[in-house]
Amino acid sequence: MTKKIKLKISARLVKKRGRRGNGNRSKMCRFCSDKEQVHSINYKNSTFLKGFLTERGKILPSRISGACARHQRVISQEIRKSRVMALLPYSGPAF
Amino acid sequence: MLRQYEALLLAVPEITGDETKNLETQLDKAVKASSGSTISFERWGKYKLAYEVNKSGYGVFFLMRFETPQSTQLINDMKTLLKVKLNNVVMRDMISVLDPKQPLTYQRPRSLEEAPTREAEGFSRDNKTTGFFAADDIDVDSDEE
Repeated sequence: MTKKIKLKISARLVKKRGRRGNGNRSKMCRFCSDKEQVHSINYKNSTFLKGFLTERGKILPSRISGACARHQRVISQEIRKSRVMALLPYSGPAF
Repeated sequence: MLRQYEALLLAVPEITGDETKNLETQLDKAVKASSGSTISFERWGKYKLAYEVNKSGYGVFFLMRFETPQSTQLINDMKTLLKVKLNNVVMRDMISVLDPKQPLTYQRPRSLEEAPTREAEGFSRDNKTTGFFAADDIDVDSDEE
């Protein structure tokens, strides 16, 4: 006779906990936590700013870039400055 | 009040040494006329631009830093100088105030002159290939025949 092993937690609960764990990830802005990084947001530093552009050359929203409102504003201002100097594209390559 | 400024200039790709010297002296003269002084003038090098400016896909960048007590007059003078007199050399310019809190060091993208260049022969030697085909591919073809 084999005894049925009772699960301590139901599968549904495990799933639910996993989901909750994901949501608890801290949403700290990377520029707020590291003041040194703020200085690298500059219109001359186009290699750094390229990381905040999509493939088509659009500015990434703060939802994706993870920056707070204050630093997102700095980023977008510097990107627009950089575009004037032809360091960054206004629009990406056509398909 | 003494203020520090920074001017990034985008010059035409076929700029000569004499023209560079002329550009530097003219800007330096304008700064000195307003009882200021130039901190640095450096050449970044040749770059591939993100989009075509004046029908050329390349450009040479210059970065100039200066300080002046009479900022309004000098900036206006410089803008007219760059846009009228040096129009055939300078394509784009951007003059901005330097934040006193910010360090003067900066990162800049790597120019075309600094980028490593590899010879075609060296590439084929490293990958043990002859011509455009890999050595293994040639063997497979001969077996089928």
